[in-house]
Amino acid sequence: MTLSNQYTESMDDNAISKPESRHPVLENWDGTVGQALVEEPRMSARSVDVFYGDTQAIDNVSLDIGKNEVLAMIGPSGCGKSTFLRTLNRMNDSIDICRVEGDILLDGEDIYKKHMDVVALRAKVGMVFQKPNPFPKSIYDNVAYGPRIHGLVSRRTELDEVVETALRKAGLWDEIKDRLDKPATGLSGGQQQRLCIARTIAISPEVILMDEPCSALDPIATARIEELIAELSQNYTIAIVTHSMQQAARVSQRTAYFHLGKLIEVGETDHIFTSPSHKLTEDYITGRFG
Amino acid sequence: MDKMQFDKHTSTQFNAELEEARKNLMQMGGLVEQQVEDAIKALMDMDTALAQRVIETDQTVNSMEIDIDEECTRILARRHPAASDLRFVIAVTKAVNDLERIGDEASKVASHTLELADTGSGPQGYVELRHIGEQVRLMVQHSLDAFARLDADSALNVLHQDKAVDLEYGTAIRSLITTMMEDPRSISRALNVMWSLRSMERIGDHARNVAESVIFLVQGKDVRHKALEQVAAQVKKG
Repeated sequence: MTLSNQYTESMDDNAISKPESRHPVLENWDGTVGQALVEEPRMSARSVDVFYGDTQAIDNVSLDIGKNEVLAMIGPSGCGKSTFLRTLNRMNDSIDICRVEGDILLDGEDIYKKHMDVVALRAKVGMVFQKPNPFPKSIYDNVAYGPRIHGLVSRRTELDEVVETALRKAGLWDEIKDRLDKPATGLSGGQQQRLCIARTIAISPEVILMDEPCSALDPIATARIEELIAELSQNYTIAIVTHSMQQAARVSQRTAYFHLGKLIEVGETDHIFTSPSHKLTEDYITGRFG
Repeated sequence: MDKMQFDKHTSTQFNAELEEARKNLMQMGGLVEQQVEDAIKALMDMDTALAQRVIETDQTVNSMEIDIDEECTRILARRHPAASDLRFVIAVTKAVNDLERIGDEASKVASHTLELADTGSGPQGYVELRHIGEQVRLMVQHSLDAFARLDADSALNVLHQDKAVDLEYGTAIRSLITTMMEDPRSISRALNVMWSLRSMERIGDHARNVAESVIFLVQGKDVRHKALEQVAAQVKKG
């Protein structure tokens, strides 16, 4: 299906200076291929453009992330997949020259609307980063941090329960239950990453964004995280950016392929990895770029 | 989808591995095609030496099947192919299996030839044998051509040819039954002819399977166990 360019014209008129196209090879591009929209979206992006200064990083992307689905975003470096992921919980706000246009909705609510509480948004749309980034605190405090600052719990026993549940869901509890007061930085890379996931789910988000969560981990730790993703998808909506195509194929139900800032193709993961419709998708997943 | 370019991977080693698998499949295909041609010629000419050669060739075909399967397993394990590369490896594995079975059927025809020669009677008079034999030989050839050229339309033609062969096979069997009823002394000879025909018909079926693998490879569509009209419509859609 081809998505409409309903926002493109007005955007061009309003743009202060027309950004230079970075995409000469895609000038004849005629829209996203595949099913970008779903029946029950948790998050919806509509005609999203992202600019860094005068450079356009995302070009007219419309994409839904369905409830309790795992959506994988793949593409070559610089294709905009991480940029797009970051627009979903406004992580790009911290970059001064970054400008987001179009609509991004969480449960039908525009997350870029005026007076949006970004802290509350990020509690609903959590993020796990490429490198595990535990706070220099104890394991317990890492997980308890979110519930505390968001005022989700009032009593210590309640907090203990939240911490244990989050650590259990992250598959870490049995390994660290006897050393909750030890510094989180003493854990292995894979354990740290699972701790970060526990920290994210401790505040009961609706959506978890993962930006290459396994790229710093060994295959065993990677397998654990992937197993965890499958379990978490029963309760959460997950969008994952990954450079590992096998990982995308293993963990996701739908896969979106980005190329030079455009969403080229999106569809069922099984379909994308056996019979992709677009030549660029085919070239990328079969390793024909170079 | 644009024509597949199996030589355009970033990894030249991967290109070489896929090319090697393709080359070996074609080599095996050529050998099997020759086996079919020789089996039919041996039957029609009652050439026992040639029939013997057909049976001996089967060992080479069998070992080629194992080699190519090993190659494909290696590619799957080491390269994790996706999309057209994955379909290619799957299609090669399936085609190799069908080619080996075609070789088996050709050997069976050769065995029946030897039995007919033992009884001192040839299949003279059974024009269907030559005709069906030629048709299935062409089917094998066309399915391999379609594989080499990644041509779904040619593959579809093989499916049409198979339908024609099936019809002709039915007619030939009915006429053989009539012959046996009319002249019980001909039963032993007629049975050998019938089994030969059966093998040829199976060769046609396997050639059709190869053609179906080609359609899967080129268009990513699984057209097995579907009505011919349905397959034709799907292939035309591209």
